[in-house]
Amino acid sequence: MSEAAIAAQEAAKEDASVDFERLYRSSRDDVYAYAAGLLRDWIAAEDVTAAAFERAYRKRSRFDPARGSARAWLFGIARHAALDELRRRGRHTDLSVDPVDATSAPGTIESRSDLRLLIEGALDELEARERELVALKFFAGLSNGEIARVVGISASNVGTRLNRTMDKLREACDGAL
Amino acid sequence: MERSSEHSALAALLAEARPTPHEDFIKELDERVAAGFSPRSRVGSSPLAGFAEWVRGLSPQRLLVSGAVALLVIAVITVAMTSGSSGPSDERSSGTLSLLNRIGPDDSSDSAVAPPAVSSPPVEESSAAGESASTEQGAASLPSRHRDIERSAEIGLIADPDDVADDSAAVFAAVHDARGIVLHSTTTSGKRAGADFDLLIPSARLGDALAAFSAIDEVGSRHDATEDITAPTISTSEKLRDSRARIDGLLAQLSTAETETEMSAIEAELDRERHHASRLRAQLDKLEQRTEFSRVSVSIETGISSTDSGGSWGIGDAFHDAGHILGIAAGVTLIGLAVLGPLALIALLAWLAHRTWVRAQRRRALRDA
Repeated sequence: MSEAAIAAQEAAKEDASVDFERLYRSSRDDVYAYAAGLLRDWIAAEDVTAAAFERAYRKRSRFDPARGSARAWLFGIARHAALDELRRRGRHTDLSVDPVDATSAPGTIESRSDLRLLIEGALDELEARERELVALKFFAGLSNGEIARVVGISASNVGTRLNRTMDKLREACDGAL
Repeated sequence: MERSSEHSALAALLAEARPTPHEDFIKELDERVAAGFSPRSRVGSSPLAGFAEWVRGLSPQRLLVSGAVALLVIAVITVAMTSGSSGPSDERSSGTLSLLNRIGPDDSSDSAVAPPAVSSPPVEESSAAGESASTEQGAASLPSRHRDIERSAEIGLIADPDDVADDSAAVFAAVHDARGIVLHSTTTSGKRAGADFDLLIPSARLGDALAAFSAIDEVGSRHDATEDITAPTISTSEKLRDSRARIDGLLAQLSTAETETEMSAIEAELDRERHHASRLRAQLDKLEQRTEFSRVSVSIETGISSTDSGGSWGIGDAFHDAGHILGIAAGVTLIGLAVLGPLALIALLAWLAHRTWVRAQRRRALRDA
């Protein structure tokens, strides 16, 4: 999490209502990264990001600092927007990036960009709920506690699931790391 | 240890793979945020959708307050519409004035309250022509037969406690002038002074009598009623005529009877018929008395009077009006709640069901994606 994000979180705790402008500046890219990481569709991610901030703006008076950080609240809204997008698309998830064959021979990895392609392919192969955890943790920079609040499970459960997901990714990139 | 380092390397790679938004998108979103996501910035949004979005944005407390305010506004508008522009105080004044007008010298309320089929004689004419004039006037309106109308009236006078005795004396005088009968009277003095009179007034003089009663003091209320008793009167008259014919017949039979037994039987029948005719005659007398005399109730009360405040609208009237308005507002609010309560409950249940369904759909979407 960036320093600006931490500062925004602290400020939000002090104020009864969320400082939307500050929250937007500190979380805009993180929300987009989360949506794009989950949906694997950059255009849809833009729509979801815009919808999430608009909903948050309309509901900003309902934010309660006692119930969690402003970022967790914002990502809860973003998650609903992303899942609504998934609902609309049903099972037909359009991928803007062609999936990479993660089972290809590791010996062919020659550069770091190849490694990134391999990682992205492995991400595509993950289940959506696993990909969501990775997106929240590594793309949006949320703590396990915040992820727990957003997803609705315990923080320890978040840690366990993340470890399993990382193991899956590691296996997909076996030998390349 | 090796696994941990691999996870760290993987985390670094994931951080590198972090998607970043396009500059054009950032610029557009920044502009929308700066504009506060104004409705104009949204494409294809209807006013209804805007209202729904606004409602969704409200906190439950604000939503409740908004609903209460809306209900209050509806109640106030309803009160304003039911009370009219003049207000309850004016309404009462005008009501009193209209009563006074109705019982004035040109009194025509008696005929006004009579049913359309009933041709009630004007009071002035009937009093001028004497007691028999009413029947003659009735006969004039209906060529075949006059109508038999029973009349009754109630009049409430409002007086100062000190005036009750004088007003009571004036009532007795008015009854005497109208050649009426006092059936019952009660007069109370002191702090709760008042009087009640049950009177029989000749119907032909009813208009004059009511005018005299109204002139005694301020009229607080008045009620007039008429009942057409033509049908029972005719029916009873015909029965009496038949009975008399039957008596005549029996007398003729008796004069020609030859045996003792036959005569005894006819005499017994004659007794029964005479008894029957007597009952019918009494019945007819009562009906005629109901037509000739009108029952009038006069009460003198020392309640709310405009004279208490010198005839002008005062603080007591203000409290009375305020209580009246609050009562109506409370009633309207209660009715509103009775109507809106079940609707709100249905809406709440629908909203809960929709929310549960959406959550389930979202979970399914995440699982199936």
